[in-house]
Amino acid sequence: MAESIRNRKSELEDDPLWHKDAVIYQVHVRAFNDSNRDGIGDFQGLTEKLEYVRDLGATAIWLLPFYPSPLKDDGYDISDYHNVHPDYGTRADFGQFMREAHRLGLRVITELVINHTSDQNPWFQAARRAPVDSSKRNFYVWSNTDQKWPETRIIFTDTESSNWAWDPVAKAYYWHRFFSHQPDLNFDNPSVVKAVLRVMRHWFDMGVDGVRLDAIPYLIERDGTNNENLPETHQLLKHLRAELDRDYKNRVFLAEANQWPEDVSEYFGQGDECHMAYHFPLMPRIYMAIAQEDRHPVVDIMRQTPDIPESCQWAIFLRNHDELTLEMVTSKERDYMYQTYAADSRARINLGIRRRLAPLMQNDSDCIKLMNSLLFSMPGSPIIYYGDEIGMGDNIYLGDRNAVRTPMQWSPDRNAGFSRADPQRLFLPPIMDSIYGYEAVNVESQLRDPSSLLHWMRRILAVRKTSQAFGRGRITFLRPGNRKVLAYLREYGEEVILCVANVSRSAQPVELDLARYRGRVPVELLGRNPFPPVGELPYLLTLPAHGFFWFRLAVDVEVPQWHAERLAREDLPVLVLFDGWTSFFRDRVVPWRIRMAEKIRAQFEQEVLPRHLESQRWYAAKGEVIKRAKLTDYVQWSVGRQSWLLPLVETEGGTEAATYFVPLALAWESTDEERLRALAPATIAKVRQQANVGAMADALADEPFCRAVVQAIAKRVELSTANGKLRFVPTEAFTGLAGESMAELAVGRPQAQSSNTVVTLGDRLFLKGYRRIRAGVNPELEIGRYLTEVARFANCAPVAGALEYVGNDGTPMTLALLQGYVANQGDGWTYTVAYLERFFENNRMAAEPVDADAHGAYLALVRTLGQRTAELHRAFALQSGDPAFEPEPVTPDDLMKFKRSVREEAVATLKFLERQIGQLVLTSRQQAQVLLDGQKQLLARIDGCAMPTGPTLKTRYHGDYHLGQVLLTNNDFLIIDFEGEPARPLTERTVKHSPLRDVAGMLRSFNYARWTALRKVMQAPEDGARLAPLATTWEPQARGAFLEAYDEATRGSDLYASFEEVQGLLQLFELEKALYELRYEINNRPGWARIPLEGILALTGLIQAG
Amino acid sequence: MEKVDMLLEPLKAFLAQVGIFLPRLALAFVVLIAGWLLAKVIRFAAVKALRAVNFNVLTEHAGMDAFLRQGGIESDTTDIFGALIYWLVIFATLVIAFNSLGLSYVTDLFGQVVTFVPKVIVALLILAFGAYFARFIYNSVVAYCSNVGIQDAELLGKLSQYAIVVFVVLISLDQMNVGGDIIRQSFLIILAGVVFALALAFGIGGQRWAAGLLERWLPRQNKDGE
Repeated sequence: MAESIRNRKSELEDDPLWHKDAVIYQVHVRAFNDSNRDGIGDFQGLTEKLEYVRDLGATAIWLLPFYPSPLKDDGYDISDYHNVHPDYGTRADFGQFMREAHRLGLRVITELVINHTSDQNPWFQAARRAPVDSSKRNFYVWSNTDQKWPETRIIFTDTESSNWAWDPVAKAYYWHRFFSHQPDLNFDNPSVVKAVLRVMRHWFDMGVDGVRLDAIPYLIERDGTNNENLPETHQLLKHLRAELDRDYKNRVFLAEANQWPEDVSEYFGQGDECHMAYHFPLMPRIYMAIAQEDRHPVVDIMRQTPDIPESCQWAIFLRNHDELTLEMVTSKERDYMYQTYAADSRARINLGIRRRLAPLMQNDSDCIKLMNSLLFSMPGSPIIYYGDEIGMGDNIYLGDRNAVRTPMQWSPDRNAGFSRADPQRLFLPPIMDSIYGYEAVNVESQLRDPSSLLHWMRRILAVRKTSQAFGRGRITFLRPGNRKVLAYLREYGEEVILCVANVSRSAQPVELDLARYRGRVPVELLGRNPFPPVGELPYLLTLPAHGFFWFRLAVDVEVPQWHAERLAREDLPVLVLFDGWTSFFRDRVVPWRIRMAEKIRAQFEQEVLPRHLESQRWYAAKGEVIKRAKLTDYVQWSVGRQSWLLPLVETEGGTEAATYFVPLALAWESTDEERLRALAPATIAKVRQQANVGAMADALADEPFCRAVVQAIAKRVELSTANGKLRFVPTEAFTGLAGESMAELAVGRPQAQSSNTVVTLGDRLFLKGYRRIRAGVNPELEIGRYLTEVARFANCAPVAGALEYVGNDGTPMTLALLQGYVANQGDGWTYTVAYLERFFENNRMAAEPVDADAHGAYLALVRTLGQRTAELHRAFALQSGDPAFEPEPVTPDDLMKFKRSVREEAVATLKFLERQIGQLVLTSRQQAQVLLDGQKQLLARIDGCAMPTGPTLKTRYHGDYHLGQVLLTNNDFLIIDFEGEPARPLTERTVKHSPLRDVAGMLRSFNYARWTALRKVMQAPEDGARLAPLATTWEPQARGAFLEAYDEATRGSDLYASFEEVQGLLQLFELEKALYELRYEINNRPGWARIPLEGILALTGLIQAG
Repeated sequence: MEKVDMLLEPLKAFLAQVGIFLPRLALAFVVLIAGWLLAKVIRFAAVKALRAVNFNVLTEHAGMDAFLRQGGIESDTTDIFGALIYWLVIFATLVIAFNSLGLSYVTDLFGQVVTFVPKVIVALLILAFGAYFARFIYNSVVAYCSNVGIQDAELLGKLSQYAIVVFVVLISLDQMNVGGDIIRQSFLIILAGVVFALALAFGIGGQRWAAGLLERWLPRQNKDGE
């Protein structure tokens, strides 16, 4: 037994503040699940269904009273405090339930009804017979008149006419705030307090984690008051709390006080009364907001809500076992609520509405989701009433509040799967209508329907769990002009969650003032998609009818790639020019300006340019500070009235000097205001020349510049620079690609990429400005020209021309490339990852195994990709006569060299891994250790790669081939970006090698796609068990399809004697690529090192693939 | 013997004179060669110095270089300065050389040339700065007028530029003492002509406007008189 208790304790985390992050599931034992076929739910039945509660995402379970009782008030009239109602089982059943709940990580909250007892309670029976003024008699409140305390209101107005009732045995009136069969205990009697403490200890000793204190404002009575919220009541609570804290850990009191927030907040004391209390007035106001389509009711009540002690928490809810109480609204609002939500007067009871959430929302799933999203994002721990997670209905023809207490609907079977008893034995009939009836709404069918409310609830609760800001954060309301939109921030530490909800029945736009969070990237939490960053302007969102968004305002997430900034930064430096571009060049200005020119040049080279370069996506040495960006060569290029500066800039101060191409444009406010605006996002510095202000910007953002470049290419313009020449050269394909009306092509906005900036011109041309410039012809130009002009390979972007620089020493450099524009549906990488995400998402919940041909359509695409890859390699294997492209046979010597270099790389990588192992996350560290231990196997694997005996060819090849380098167009692929690995010197990139390296790169890319997609969809660790096998089956299928198509399409070419015999070589290159990836990830993203590590281990055979 | 002496005497004197003259001549040659070398060095230094302070940019901006190129001269203003300084030094050397030979007339002649060259240099400087100033005024006028919205900004700018250029040319001519009165008077005539033409144009063109003004003013004056 002691063993089991110890075990039990270890299941739950030791967290004294667990109630702050709790999601509470409210259950009626009677209505949840019947295990013994008597028509009434019981503890054994409940225990069976605990996993369902856990899977929903609840962290605690709150049980309505389950004690022996005449059940005149649904168990709140308790006749024996220490026992379990025989209908629900035994104390042993309860113990079993507690153990199981704790094993599943669920805490349990029970009822402690201490304001009153049943009139059947032995205490009352003894009291009525005991002599007047004896301690036994004084367990209850007696009076000889029913006119005492007339100021006290009557709560159950529908059934009671007085708070006093005559007892013929005692011959006196007894005090009752609720039903007349529920006499109030007298807490002025110390014996009562002692008895209540005994009850409390009894249940806490059974392992209960919290108790709900029912009706606590009414505990004590005093003359001349309304007998609610008396100071003596608080004294009593402090006493109970002190007793609790003395003997127990991690247990809570939950106060039920149907009062205004300022009164309720007193029940928290200084953190020395109750841990939690219901926020009653919030609930009707959420309904009000939806009914009135105005955010005011919610904002208003939250404004009136006082701050509570750090360790305390509100409990919030939408519906519970009682009526939707309208005590906490004004009479006008009550009328409004009645009209909206309870047009049928049967639905009304006391001061409230006896309906469930779904019928209140007229079963509108958007509304139900919106209500829940508000509940889960308001400050407090949400309580979900059983059945509301599947949208259960009610039966207002049942008496009292039984409308909302019908059996839980588990399946479409008899009695809703709740019980196997004769339907007539059920304590209440299940809902049976055609909309909400158990045949339409039940857990079983919703589990099978991936888009059901139940699945949605599970997801949103999983999302809520990802951030403590929901439970613990501060709430700040935003006040957007559109009153139909409720927007608020939840802030906890560094974490900020933005919640936006549209409470109206039509789509609404909203502009949010998020100036405080400028630069942060909102990430939508359900889809984990980044939105455009918060900028200078109010943040514009559009919400569908009854729609809502939860965003994390992230600092660690990258801005979506497609996003273009339209406004200039405010903190730009100002350059004071006196003569346009000339102001930078001391030998081009009049004598008395020389000093000034030197100063401007220094400012330009040491402040303006370095800061600009550092902030660019294409700046290669990220994070390194540039001391000076020196203009090594330049030309001032004028076309018509426009004039640009085309400089080559050398950076100083980083680890290595690098040359960048930074064409610049100037625009003045007085003459070209429109152009100035267009240049704003690309502005490098503000400029002023006397009274004229303007901007200096990246010329690739300048429409006239892009046009001028294209026109210059058409005209083969040559410009002399200070130390060399700029040459604009077209290819044969230029005229065909550019078309007749070059001047009318619409110039797109520039998009910064990792090493270049691209601009589209209409749907014809694609101008790519290289940034980091290296000596030599860029392979993209060289290969592009070859594929366009010589090999006539159709599946690449044709080259139309280029801008080249030739220094005085004759070395060429490629500054810009003009390509034909190819319409596409995005790159293969995005497509594949999105495809896999979709596939995982669809199969996350599905119970059935996946069809064998589930990937049919995708694999057809991969086959096309294999074929195109093969065609590319065949194009490289043409005998063209150009020595740069002529294929060469692979000699045995080469094969030896390949092996040797991979071997050397492997040794170096392992050494590097050993040094850096501390930087890896835990799981990758274990794998790294396996790899380090398996060094011998790895080297043996490399040595063991079978080398081909037949002839194979060495050719030019893509060099950096992966899914990101192919564009999807109408179920076909275009191969782009022949630049090779941008980090390597050009000479290395133009060396001929086996094209199998490209094939290996693509195979590794499939592996990356698999892990990336898996990582994106994993919300909880248990997802892995379901999804990882799916991923494992996908990858070999994709690889197989790719290789098969590649093999088929290379057959008959000179590339390989046969594809079978180069398998060894292919494996070798795959290992080489994985080793490279490992080094790269350790250097750049240690969190991702796991992917290449697993790849290497699988290739080596150290672990099973997958 | 005496006869021979008598015969030899002139020869002796001649030889003595030659003996005195030859060293002078040699000295003059030496001076000349040294001067020539010096002139080259100074020209080189001057051109370098002028280029170092971007004098060439000034003249280019002033439009002088373009003017020279139009006239078929390959070199720019800075080179002309170099040439002038070169010749100044050469002439100064010549003066010294001839002076040492005692050829006072030739010396005087060259002396005048030597004093003239600096005037040319100064005149050229005035021209360069003046033309730059004219260009600057042109830019300012055009900028100002376009800002204010006057349509003929370009024309007005050119007018002011040329007016200044004319003045500058006159000043530099005056500096060189070339032309003197003729130029001064012809300038006055042209100026008077222009002013008169303008007065006439405004007078005829603004006749009605002036009449209107007069009508508005005169009756009131009459009333005041009464």
